[in-house]
Formats: sequence, structure tokens, C-alpha cells
Amino acid sequence: MAHDHDHDHDDGPAEPKGPGLAERTYFVPLIKGLANTLHHMFRVDANTQHYPEQRRAPAPGYRGEHRLKRDELGREKCVACFLCSTACPAHCIEIVAEEAPWSDREKRPRLFNIDMMRCIYCGMCEEACPCDAIELTPVFNIPSRTRGEKIYDKERLLSN
Amino acid sequence: MSEATNPETPLVNWVLNGQPVQSPAGMTIFEAAKALETTIPNFCYHPGLTIAGNCRICMVESNRSKKPVISCSERIAEGLEIQTESPMAIEARNAVMEFQLINHPLDCPVCDKAGECDLQDYSYDHGPDRSRFDEEKNIRHTKELGPTIDIWGNRCIVCTRCVRFCDEISGTGELCVVERGDRSVVDVFPTVPIDNPLAGNVVDICPVGALISNDFKFEARIWNMRKTDSVCAGCARGCNVEVQSLDGFVKRLVPRENMEVNKWWMCDEGRYDYRYLLADERVTACTKDGEPVEDHDAHETLAHWLQDPGGTLGILVDPYITCEEAFLVEQIASHANNALVGGWKPADGTAQSFPGQFTISGEKAPNRLGVEAVLGKLVFGSQGHALRTALEKGQVSTLIVFAGFPHPDPDDAWVQAIRKAKRRAVFALQAGAWTEGAGLVIPGASPFEKDGTYANEDGRLQRVRSFHAPGDVEWSHDLQRLQAVLRIAGLRPRSLSSSAVFRELADVKKPFHGLSHSTLPATGAPLPGFIPLPVGVEGGSV
Ligand code: SF4
Ligand code: SF4
Ligand code: FES
Repeated sequence: MAHDHDHDHDDGPAEPKGPGLAERTYFVPLIKGLANTLHHMFRVDANTQHYPEQRRAPAPGYRGEHRLKRDELGREKCVACFLCSTACPAHCIEIVAEEAPWSDREKRPRLFNIDMMRCIYCGMCEEACPCDAIELTPVFNIPSRTRGEKIYDKERLLSN
Repeated sequence: MSEATNPETPLVNWVLNGQPVQSPAGMTIFEAAKALETTIPNFCYHPGLTIAGNCRICMVESNRSKKPVISCSERIAEGLEIQTESPMAIEARNAVMEFQLINHPLDCPVCDKAGECDLQDYSYDHGPDRSRFDEEKNIRHTKELGPTIDIWGNRCIVCTRCVRFCDEISGTGELCVVERGDRSVVDVFPTVPIDNPLAGNVVDICPVGALISNDFKFEARIWNMRKTDSVCAGCARGCNVEVQSLDGFVKRLVPRENMEVNKWWMCDEGRYDYRYLLADERVTACTKDGEPVEDHDAHETLAHWLQDPGGTLGILVDPYITCEEAFLVEQIASHANNALVGGWKPADGTAQSFPGQFTISGEKAPNRLGVEAVLGKLVFGSQGHALRTALEKGQVSTLIVFAGFPHPDPDDAWVQAIRKAKRRAVFALQAGAWTEGAGLVIPGASPFEKDGTYANEDGRLQRVRSFHAPGDVEWSHDLQRLQAVLRIAGLRPRSLSSSAVFRELADVKKPFHGLSHSTLPATGAPLPGFIPLPVGVEGGSV
């Protein structure tokens, strides 16, 4: 394509006609744009939300920040099976397992980090979990000052 | 197995899945089918153990029986017709799987076998996707069977592979099956834990996650690990292993089948001996006179030393260097006016043989024969003596030491001797007696991090590979460092891969003639004409 203009064959396509005077002065488009702006400025049915004073409730099933769930005794439900990190297409879940101190299960995560900057919020981890221990909450406003804060550790995920 | 290779064995005509086939007489249906590339599921069958025939998952349809037969113990015969995938065979296996899963805890998410578990695999093919069993599952013991091995009884399918292993291969007989019916489970006799030098193998052969190695428990999931085919450096046997690592850390070693060397097994000493990779003493950066220096500066310094050794150049090798590294050592020596090459090797231990035709070598280093094949048969003998005498007399001005021995067990006579050299460069795995007071210390690679070849005690040349992913390693291997030094010193035009160095070696060293990394079989190749091999070993010579 880039070479099309280099060819000077007689039978080549005719040169397109350049823009006319009206277009080259940009006067008409300018007026049109301004009219559009003014139209929206004085619209009465504006549905702009005044975030953050006004907030819209996320749709059901909205996938935001993760949470690690707790069981009735307040312990993490996660058994460190690594299925979420296996399912995760962004490879952003890091787990290190250890022996659980409780008699009803063998394993628990010693380390559970999610790199929220790599996460694509697809929800695969939630789907893969056999213990219903991880879920995506509707929380979407999750700013932070540093990149480091965006790596959520176990405590942070449990407290969500 | 041997029947299959013996040309005298008569052939039997039989029919497998509608295809007329021929197999040597005496084979079981399972083995004959496997040789013809038809796999039949199996739990209790293991090629290295006697036939037990207790799991029944290997059932197939036969024209000689109204009921399905177990292929692992029935033998082929003239006119036998076997269907492995007929509705009857499949239904039989489905029923076996349903029974196996009745009491199984289905705890794959926390089971360390998940990902390489036969029960898991077969339940995809044959398992019902839900259980018809409404009653309570029974509970069997979870306990320690020995210092390295735990049993999770609920998972056991009582195939008795582990019991047979202890009876037939290690010959120690610690394990037994206790209780009856659906409560049967593997246990040890009171006060006799399973603690034999081959114990770790029962974990590998357990087809489910019932036997778990304490060392690997909860360490990693199977599918996440990087797997590298290499060779164990624990002794001169050179068992074939798969090094399984995660993020640059070795997590476990498992044996690879090599009928010429280790069959299906390896010993615990080799299996658990990889922690030194992470030892605090591990040398990870170059130092010059005790001060950290850049790699390049260290290489340059050593190159200058080689260009001007200021007298006699001594090179002390150990049986941990690969054949390729030994070849570079020889190049260095051949360019020096006055060079002495000698070898040191760790003290011999005791050799151990087991009833299952498995031996642990008494020689506790991986490559003495390989180094001798390159540097001469006397390198660990009189040449070593000559080097030590020269060192003790203070006649060596520049000394290069290869200290790849993974355990801090200095040989005092040598340690005293090397101190007498005017200057010393050490390729060291660990800081310690060898590196103390050395002018130059360069990080050495462990056998699991090297790329090259080792020759085992039978003179079988085998490939070792680094478990690190390319680009993962923070330090280069000895072979690359040596080449860098040689390049700076002007002794080699450029650095090459270990395969290319081996090609040069094969060109000039007789035992290696005709060999190359790419044509070396997975089972290794005997170095021809170098040492006589035991009678009966295939390819043996001289
Ligand atoms: S939402 Fe998707 S990308 Fe994010 S952690 Fe879960 S699986 Fe990974
Ligand atoms: S522990 Fe494993 S190898 Fe031993 S009988 Fe049970 S399932 Fe078989
Ligand atoms: S493999 Fe044949 S009965 Fe177990």
C-alpha cells in the first residue's frame, strides 16, 4: 500500500482531488463542532453522573477487586490448591503453601499475592476455585499511590 | 523383557483389536500390547515388580473366556483374540473405577500427586462423573511411615506396588497391608519405620497420592514445575533423573527409566541431596583478594595469570567437572610452558547392592572416568601425586582449582598443599577450606547446573543438563567462564556451546570418536575401548 504513490504508471488510479477552499479554511467544521458543544451544554436531559458525589451501583456480576473469603470460624477458606493461579490467564496469582494448623484440612496458603496491575478481571480464578474461597467483588475504585500497593497480599485480600 | 529381544523366542500369532499380530511367546497381553503401542490402563502392574493382578483395571475382552481377563498376568497364546476397547472391556474398567472411587476422598486439590496420578487420569477416561454411593466413606490412617515418607491411607488403592518394592527391590520388607476388605491399607510393622536407602522410590511408584514424600509435601504443584532430564551426581552410578524445579529452585528429583543404568530407581542419598544448591556458603559472585569484582574483571585477571603463570602452572581438577570442561583444562595446560594437571576426588564410601539388581556405587563422584578419558588415566593417581608434591615443595606459582564437591569435607593434605601456591584461582561451589585465602574465587556450577556429559562407573557417557531456564541464571557455567578466560587469553577464538566443545573433544580424543550430543541416545552410550564393560552389557567392547 505504502508503495502505491511511488508508481507512476499511466494506467494507475487518478490522483484524488485535493480539499476545496471551504474545507481548507476549517471554518465550517469549526462552527459545526461548536454548535455540538453548545447543544450538549444546554441539554436538559443530561445523564452525566457527578462522580464521586454520585455513584452508580455496579451491575450484578460486575468483576472488581478480589476477596478471599473466610469460613464460619474466621479462617481463610483457601486450601492452597493453586487452581486459581493455574486458571489465571494473566499469571498474576502467586501462592506458597504450608501445612495447615487445623485438623480439618491439610494445607493453607502461607503467601497469597495477586498482582492487581496484571489482573484482567476475567473472573477465571473465581470459577476455578473448588472451595469457593476467592471471588471478585463489585469494588472498582481501587487507586493507590505506588505500584507496590497494587500487589495485594493475603491480609489485604482477606480484609476486602 | 529379555524374551522380547531374544531372537530365538518363537513368535505367537494372535489378534489385538481385530488386527492379526505377532509377538514373542511368553509375553503377557499387557506387555505385548504395549510393545505394539496399545496401552491398557494399569495400577498394580509395574515392569520392575512381580505381577500381583489385584487392581483389575487392566481387564480386556478375550475369545477364550466368558468374563473379561486381566491383561497384566494373562499371557498371549496362538489364536488368542483380545479386545481392549470393546463395550465389555470398557464396562469392566468403568466398574473397577467406580469401586476405586467409592472410598476415595477426592481431595485432588490438596493432593501432591495430582497432575501425575493414574487414578486421576483413568477417572477422566473411565470414571463416573458422580458417585452412586450414599453411605459414609470409610476413614483409614494418615501417618508417618518413616522419616521421609507419610501415608494418606484414604487415598490408597491397595495395589501393593510399594509392598512389593520393599520385598523385591530394596529387600527390606518394611511395608505390609493391614486390615481387610475396604479397610485394608498399607502400614509398617510396629517399631520398624520404612527407612531404607531406596525408600523414596515407593513414592514414585505409588500410582495415587497415598505415599507422600515429606521433602516435597506441599512444595509445588506438578504441572507448574520445569522438568529437565539430567543425571544424579551423588555417586558414580549416574542414575538418570528428572530435575523438577520451580522459579529457579529445585523442588525434587525423580528417577528416569534407563535399563542400562538405574532401571526405574534411584537412592535416597542422591534424591534428597540438592539442598546444597541453596546453602549459605554457596559462592555466587566473583571475588578478587576477598573483594567482590565484576565477572569480566575476574576472567581478565585469570587470563593474565594464564598468559604469564610466572613459573609452573598447576591445575587441580575434581570428578565433578564435565568431559567438556576437562577438555578445556587440557587446552589450558597444553598452552602453558610448564603445566601440571592433577586430580582430587572425595573419599570412597561403601558400595551397596540390592536384591532388585540395583547398586549404589562406592565412588561418591559422578565423572572420574570421563575426566580420565580426557586427561589421562593417571590424573587422579600419579599425576595428582606429582601435583601435590610440587605444591608442597612450593614449586607451583599459579594454581587453578576446581572445587565442585557439594559437601564441605576438605581433604586436609590437599587443603594444606594448595595454600602453598603463590597465587590461586578457585572455581568454587561453596566457600570454605578450598577458597580460603584464594586470590581469585569464581562461582562454580553444581552438577545440576552444568551442561555437558558425565561418564558413569561403567564408562557410559550420559548427558547432564542445567535445570535453569535459559536466561534465568544469574551466573554463567564453568564451561562458559573457562571459554571466556581462554578467549581473553587468546587461546580460543570464541565461546561455543557445550555441544560444539564436545565435537572438538570427539575429534581429538579416541574414546569419544564418533559421539556427539545430538546422537547420544537417551540411555547414554558406552565409551568404546576405554574400559571393559561387564560381560553381557550391550555394546560392551575390549
Ligand atoms: S480475574 Fe482473571 S486475571 Fe485476575 S486474578 Fe482472576 S483469573 Fe487472574
Ligand atoms: S500406598 Fe500406593 S503403592 Fe502402596 S498399596 Fe497403596 S496405592 Fe499401592
Ligand atoms: S494392572 Fe492388571 S490387575 Fe492391576
